Amino acid sequence: MAERASILPGTLELLILKAVSLGPEHGYGILLRIEKISGEALKLEQGALYPALYRLEQQGRLEADWGVSDNNRRAKFYRLTASGRRQLRDETESWNAFSTAVATALAAQPGQA
Amino acid sequence: MGRVVRFLRSLLRRDRVEADMADEMAFHLAARADALAAEGLSRAEALRRARLEFGAPDRYKEECRESLGLRLVDELRADLRVAFRQLARARAFSLATIAIVAVAIGASTALFSTADAVLLRLLPVERPDELRRLAWVDSDRSGFMGSYDGSMHAWPSGRLATSFAYPVYRHLSDHSTTFGELVTFGRASQLNLTLGGHARLAHGQLVSGNFMRVLGTEALLGRVLTMEDDSREALGYAAVLGHGFWQRELGADPAVLGRTLLVNGAAAVVVGVLPRGACGVDPSWCPDLMLPMAMQPVVDAGPDVLRNTRRWGFQVIGRLKRGVADETARAETEHLVAEAIRADEPSEAWDPPHVVLMPGGHGLQDLRSDLETPLLVLACAVAAVLLVACANIAGLLLARASDRRREIAARLALGASRSRLVRQLLTESLLLAALGGGLGVLLAYLVGDGIGRIFIGSDRLLGVEIALGGRVLAFAIVLLGLVGLAFGTLPALRATRLDLVSSLRVTGTAERTSLRAGKVLIALQVALSLALVAGSLLFVRTLVNLRAQSLGFRPENLLVFQLDPTLNGYRDGRLYDFHEQVLGSLERLPGVRSASMSRWGLLAGNRTSDGLSVPGGSSTGVDVHYVAPRFFETLGFPLVAGRDFTRADREGASQVVIVNESLARALFPARSPLGQTVVAEKTPLQVVGVVGDTKFGSIREPMRPTVYYPFRQQPQRSMTYALRSELTLAALRPSIERAVSEVDPNVPLFELASQHQKISEVMREERLFALLVSGFAVLALALAGIGVYGTLAYQVSRRTPEIGLRMALGAQRAHVVSLVTREAALPIGLGVLGGVLASLAAGRLVESLLFGTSPRDPLAFAAACLALVLLAAVAAALPAWRATRIAPMRALRQD
Repeated sequence: MAERASILPGTLELLILKAVSLGPEHGYGILLRIEKISGEALKLEQGALYPALYRLEQQGRLEADWGVSDNNRRAKFYRLTASGRRQLRDETESWNAFSTAVATALAAQPGQA
Repeated sequence: MGRVVRFLRSLLRRDRVEADMADEMAFHLAARADALAAEGLSRAEALRRARLEFGAPDRYKEECRESLGLRLVDELRADLRVAFRQLARARAFSLATIAIVAVAIGASTALFSTADAVLLRLLPVERPDELRRLAWVDSDRSGFMGSYDGSMHAWPSGRLATSFAYPVYRHLSDHSTTFGELVTFGRASQLNLTLGGHARLAHGQLVSGNFMRVLGTEALLGRVLTMEDDSREALGYAAVLGHGFWQRELGADPAVLGRTLLVNGAAAVVVGVLPRGACGVDPSWCPDLMLPMAMQPVVDAGPDVLRNTRRWGFQVIGRLKRGVADETARAETEHLVAEAIRADEPSEAWDPPHVVLMPGGHGLQDLRSDLETPLLVLACAVAAVLLVACANIAGLLLARASDRRREIAARLALGASRSRLVRQLLTESLLLAALGGGLGVLLAYLVGDGIGRIFIGSDRLLGVEIALGGRVLAFAIVLLGLVGLAFGTLPALRATRLDLVSSLRVTGTAERTSLRAGKVLIALQVALSLALVAGSLLFVRTLVNLRAQSLGFRPENLLVFQLDPTLNGYRDGRLYDFHEQVLGSLERLPGVRSASMSRWGLLAGNRTSDGLSVPGGSSTGVDVHYVAPRFFETLGFPLVAGRDFTRADREGASQVVIVNESLARALFPARSPLGQTVVAEKTPLQVVGVVGDTKFGSIREPMRPTVYYPFRQQPQRSMTYALRSELTLAALRPSIERAVSEVDPNVPLFELASQHQKISEVMREERLFALLVSGFAVLALALAGIGVYGTLAYQVSRRTPEIGLRMALGAQRAHVVSLVTREAALPIGLGVLGGVLASLAAGRLVESLLFGTSPRDPLAFAAACLALVLLAAVAAALPAWRATRIAPMRALRQD
């Protein structure tokens, strides 16, 4: 198995919000989706997904309903609420600002400071 | 908002949440296994890999619960379970604590519910804050007042009177510019009420026509009284029934509306029924029925009171106009009162009375002033007991926590956080508080309005409802939370502040601090118990002093009861003949030495007061008795000079009086009063006799100047009979009843009792005070004793190895005893000192309740100190004795 990056603390929730924003999905599906949209580069601790999902649901960012999965199993599907959508937008902006800043900093050449 | 709802939803549907969580994770594993199997792994291998990748489900479930905010709840539940187990293990300790807390919380809650009803709650009337009760200061120069009916209160410059003459009220009502409206009312007690041919005794209230409208009283059935009902042109009288009377006497029959009842023989139509709790403005007295003021002549057959400026017997309440300052209204009222008096210029010297406005929103002050000080004193006593209980339980918990040191140290060593352990220990003490408190509230519920009744008497019609409402329950819950924290916090903090290594090794330095805390708690308990003991001794001395008071008459072998023949329609001459006839047959009863009667009897709680003067002189305040012949002989006090009344002293004969020695001295300092003339309400009366002084209204008051009238010359309706007989009440009762019913079976006999019972009733408050405070003191003493004993015993058990070593090295027993007791001496000494200081400071509070003793009574304090020191000595003796029995070898081998 290829070596994959483990994710930064705090970013898991952002990734979940992003994954769910692409369409309602159950927990396992969210896991697959995150791996897929990150180009298989991010490795998630699978069980750790659930406390984060419950936290987002308790905070009102996600809503959940029981439905039926592709292979006919009962599964809990999550979807984004209005508040979740706002949160995703805000955090995406601050993440982008942060990563640009870090990237700029790391691109600095000797003598530039 | 949403979060709280979601949290509560997950809390309430906990099973569902857990099942969903399990299902969700199971689905994840199954889906992952499917995917892996699709990659070619065997089913079993796929499942194993899926589980491996997922991690420990239980850990993630726990984290999920935390996400939902459920973890705290779970921990609390676990803490409670542990706490229950701990308490069940130390059963004696737990039961003792629960009992202590129950008594303390129960007493506090019962007191608070009474205080809440009487002192804090506003009257159920409209905008009570705008109401003002009118009062005036009675002085030597109140010559405008011929007679007074109502209550008088202590006031810095004289006495505060709350009754006015009706014409004065009318003048105020017509001319006041500062009060929007003024209402007046007066008592009409002991009415003869006939409804459906059945006569009964009822207590009414006379009210002005605007009374109910101004106070915002609405009728439950029918209508309230109006101005039309109160006008002299009214076609007939109207009456409104009180809720209690309607329920009790009429079975809540709605058909009572429109029926005619006879009030002292005069017809009145029932036009309405008042709702529950509508009792006018005096919460201590809820009338059976309300009558318009126009019915006053029916209620009291005296001279036309409504036109008489000399009869001050009606209370006045006004509603201030918006924006009018109290002082403005007061000054104007004072002016108007003087004007009204001047309109019917008094013959005696007078000054315009100083008027006082009192807030009316809490109802009349009578009940409040009756209860305020007693409640405050009891509240202090209960607070002291509560504190002693807290200190005591804290001491016990401290010792217990020390016993659990190894358990706690082990848990700390295994990584439990200190806050977690403190929470666990606090849960235990709060659980104790909650169990005890629940029991206490139950106790308070059972006591009900008992405390209020104790102080105002069970015979009065109580208008306030003393119940465990939301406010009282909130008080109890806050209180027991505080109590739990008070006795739990210190031990919990102490117990968890451990030096791990030394604690695991058993003997350590942490113990020193917990011993010091224990000593502080002992000092506190000793101080508070001392204050309570000193207080109870003061109240007991008060009771003893009151009992030792000379009454002036002989209360033993004396029976009293009341008869009101007007209840069966007797009037005037027939009424007096009835009384004389009954007296005659009572005198002839075998075993009866003598029989007589007076309006109220002596020391029965009621009295009549009036003014009396020598011709041309100023008026002296006197107590008044209306009596039959042989009254002095029957009650057992001497006729000092002149003659007793005879049957010839009746209506039509020349008017005569008998005075007591105090009055004789006051009116005729230099000459014999016999044959002299005195004047009451402009009527000349001849003094024919002088009798000894007696107490009349209360035992506390000195014997007052008193005048005696023959009952036939000053018409009275109801009379209190007195019989002197060696026979007991039970033995004499049948023949008394027969004697009365032979004259007329339809005149009811009431309040039959021995004179001693009457006196006990008058001293009820003092008796109960002595009893309650003594009870609290004994409770506090017992707690303090347990506290001292427990702390010392614990200390001896901790120091067993040390003491054993000392004894092995040759220490004498006396030395060991002093070693143990010395530890207790300082806190006890400090406690005694603190207690003396605290009770001296609290002395002023109880001063007005004491009689014949001072709140700084040295005897009471000496006795209290002695009691505490003795108690401490006894409590210390057992542990000290046990210390001397320590076998050195066994002690050294311990641990």
